[in-house]
Amino acid sequence: MNVEINDLTRRFGRNRAVDGVSLRAGAGVFGLLGPNGAGKTTLLRMMATVIPPSSGTLRLLGRDPGSYGPRREIRRRVGYLPQNLGYYPGFTVAEFVEYFALLKDMPPREVPRAVAAAVEQVGLGGRARSRMRTLSGGMLRRAGIAQAIVNQPEVLLLDEPTAGLDPEQRVSFRALLRDLGERATVIVSTHLVEDVGAACGEVALMDAGKIVFHGTPDELTARGEGTGAAGDAPLERGYSAVLAAARSATAVRS
Amino acid sequence: MTGRDEMAGDHDSLAGRGPGPGDVDLDRVWLGVAAQVWRRDPGPAERAAARLLRSPGLARALVTTPSLLAGWLIATAVVLLAGLFATLGTGTPYVPLLAPAVAAAGIAYAYGPGIDPAWELSRSMAVSDRIVLLARTLAVFAVNAALGLAAAAAGAAAVPNAAAVTFGWLVPMTAVCALALAAATLAQSASAGVAAGVAGWVIVVLAGQSASGRLTAVITDAGLVLPYLAFAAVCAAIAWAATRVPRGT
Repeated sequence: MNVEINDLTRRFGRNRAVDGVSLRAGAGVFGLLGPNGAGKTTLLRMMATVIPPSSGTLRLLGRDPGSYGPRREIRRRVGYLPQNLGYYPGFTVAEFVEYFALLKDMPPREVPRAVAAAVEQVGLGGRARSRMRTLSGGMLRRAGIAQAIVNQPEVLLLDEPTAGLDPEQRVSFRALLRDLGERATVIVSTHLVEDVGAACGEVALMDAGKIVFHGTPDELTARGEGTGAAGDAPLERGYSAVLAAARSATAVRS
Repeated sequence: MTGRDEMAGDHDSLAGRGPGPGDVDLDRVWLGVAAQVWRRDPGPAERAAARLLRSPGLARALVTTPSLLAGWLIATAVVLLAGLFATLGTGTPYVPLLAPAVAAAGIAYAYGPGIDPAWELSRSMAVSDRIVLLARTLAVFAVNAALGLAAAAAGAAAVPNAAAVTFGWLVPMTAVCALALAAATLAQSASAGVAAGVAGWVIVVLAGQSASGRLTAVITDAGLVLPYLAFAAVCAAIAWAATRVPRGT
């Protein structure tokens, strides 16, 4: 298993952003669904080793990121697209991707070819020498994806990767995700249910820091059947039904 | 669609190029060409840094330091030049009094959230952000020390006790820079670092003047060297602790 999480919790003051989450993920595309504030981004940031957990255990690629050596090795082999991608406005797309390839400790001789491949994979070949400040929101997102995949990561963490992409690009991106998922663990955080249905083999639904559903998209769809839950598509109805059930259970307990 | 294909974009797809005549793999050829055309040739400073630091990634991070970019360096030079002209005109050593505050601002603006656009991403990289911070801090310190020394030396003829005034500010500058670094890393705010560094230095200078009657007492008094160094060490330890990867709270 590339990702092993056991009873992971992250607190910010009194607020538990992630509350006792346990997950295991091997190769394939894993969707993290949930409403805004559910804890998806915090969970992803912990997996990206940007912030440490408050308690619980996290193992990535069989290593504990709590100590320097293993954390460095993990970071070499992980790709991460944060929700808010910062960028250097004066960098070209190729320079931006190259910068992070170098920070990932890739062998310098391999970097130019890896950069070219990643930039082409996200369809930015024609804009490789454009300054980042001249790109549209969708192009910036694709540049962010390019830096995440430049090192051919074994664990790829994508936070709202399709935000800003037009429908055609989203369809292409889902195909890219499926392809990447054949050899790597791809964890995609999104609130767009259709992305999960189209690309993910496994899905977890988070609410209030907890995982309230874990299964396949088909199983999530089945949860919505005959419930009268809101939603235009079967998967959306499953999503709504699971959330409603989780919230009513929480209300009863409290 | 496979990984060799690309997302719908504004460029001919790799799949569209496909295999060419004979056994030529146009995808591979194109990637080879693109790799050469798009690659960024590092400048002499970056090449030297890569050799020195033995890390091309760290070298690239170093040359993107906000307070080492041309605009910042020009602003630093302008402030020090103004100090130099004021020194030559009045005989009061303004350069040694200005240089520590200017350096502290540069240190605070070397690295951190809000300063580095891609800070969140940088924190997930194999090249540790702590090492990036250390390399940038040392580089900014060295550049500011060099610029300050040049300006102080140019104005030395106009001030009494020239040798002590010209070199004496380097130790207080170390303390002020360490204070700015500690405040910036602790508060995760460059502005907090600048405010702490500049305010700390102004207070020290004014306190020195009121105690001794001389504006330059804080840079020429040999008895202050050890307290400055001890203070710098404490601030460096605070910055080191503030940048460790802690267990969450």
